[in-house]
Amino acid sequence: MNADEWLRVFAAELHQRRVAVDAARHVVAEAATHLREGGGDPWLVFGSPQAYAATIVESIGTAPAPRPGPVRLDARGITKRYGRRTVLRDAALTVRAGQIAAVVGANGCGKSTFLRICAGLISPDAGEVTVSGRLGYCPQQGGTADFLLPDEHFVLVGAGQGLTREPARQAGRAAARQLGWEADRDVPARHLSGGTRQKLNLTMSTLAAPDVLLLDEPYQGFDQGSYVNLWDQLVRLRDEGRAIVVVTHLLNQLDRVDVVLDLTSSAK
Amino acid sequence: MNRLVTVAEMTLRELTRRRGVLLLLLLMPLVFWMIRRDSYVGQSIRALFLGISWAVSTAALFAASGARELEPRLRLAGYRPHQLYLGRMLGLWVLGLAVAVPFFLLTVIDANNLRYAGIALAMLCCVAVAAPFGMLIGALLPRELEGTLLLLTVVAMQMLLDPASPGAKLTPFWSSREIATWAVDHTDAGYLSRGLLHAAVVTVLLIVTVAGVFGVRLRRRRHLHHAPLT
Repeated sequence: MNADEWLRVFAAELHQRRVAVDAARHVVAEAATHLREGGGDPWLVFGSPQAYAATIVESIGTAPAPRPGPVRLDARGITKRYGRRTVLRDAALTVRAGQIAAVVGANGCGKSTFLRICAGLISPDAGEVTVSGRLGYCPQQGGTADFLLPDEHFVLVGAGQGLTREPARQAGRAAARQLGWEADRDVPARHLSGGTRQKLNLTMSTLAAPDVLLLDEPYQGFDQGSYVNLWDQLVRLRDEGRAIVVVTHLLNQLDRVDVVLDLTSSAK
Repeated sequence: MNRLVTVAEMTLRELTRRRGVLLLLLLMPLVFWMIRRDSYVGQSIRALFLGISWAVSTAALFAASGARELEPRLRLAGYRPHQLYLGRMLGLWVLGLAVAVPFFLLTVIDANNLRYAGIALAMLCCVAVAAPFGMLIGALLPRELEGTLLLLTVVAMQMLLDPASPGAKLTPFWSSREIATWAVDHTDAGYLSRGLLHAAVVTVLLIVTVAGVFGVRLRRRRHLHHAPLT
């Protein structure tokens, strides 16, 4: 395990132990500086990432675990068939304010279909979804306009919420910065890399400050740093009281979520 | 109103950034006009109208197809269906007018003894009908190739049908031929009024159908209930 990998595992450990996001970022930066300037194997300098994270938690404490709030999304008895094939059978999910839910399962088990039903984009054959508050949705791909600039996407989405141009632009750029992306360059969406385009996609879904955020594998094309930024952002939004549902097949992040819905058994 | 204008503006921005598309939008009517340039002037002007109609319909088809994935999330962001389709239509009408103006000037310079108000009215009718027509095809057919082939069929039908036959009146751009006859051949005003009536009826019918298709596609689903924020 090299220094970068050690730092990544260390950062994940701090998050898992609910160290406040800003404090964790500060501690990781300090450790990185120490390793860069002093050199040496991080295992010899700090020990295992788990043990060092435990020491840090003892020293600075953890952020109080936010209490889950009222129910924001309640999906019950969701059944969906495509022809003779039943993709979802009686699927259910309840997510409260201040919770992250992960929807997992094998390829083709209906994860994206479930999310699109929750967003009201397609109808189920049976079941109901109740949403409390404003809904945001980030599709797995698409959902952006090839020839528009990032700022123009922010203005377009912001106008839907009654935002005027400048506040919409500022809100979009601020949300993009949380993902480690400076969105102030005049580059059409079609010239953005796959990962940056996905950041634009994600930024559009968080721009309107939704109470319920539905994300369909939002990390497509992300590098390691962007992936960490994404989860930092999700944890921050959760701590602000948002209810978040993430479709994922990366099981290594399940320790950072509060609710898991496994749809594998739902598919027939 | 702000939402509608924003959608119109973004539609225009998207289309004007596609330089190749803009060039072809101008080239298509120009080629139609040039091919008939040496024959009877009425032929070249009717071909020009058909070229404008086809160019704007094609732009509308691709604009509608390109926005298919974006529109559901704009709906979630607070837009209502009519703001999305009317905004896009407004943007396409503005683009269509921008395409038509240089060709109007071309006819003024190139041909004498025409009723120029009639030429301008016919071009307006072409643009008015073409935008919702292309959008409707784009909304009904999810893939661009199928849409383009359907558009090609309609325009070919329009070219080949005898304008005096009853079937010709069912084609969307019949109005421009009728008004062109009034403007070029100095026929009685009946041609003008029939043409204008046809264009108005077809435009309204197309807008209502586009509204219906968008209304169904972007409807609020019955399984989704919104509870008050607590």
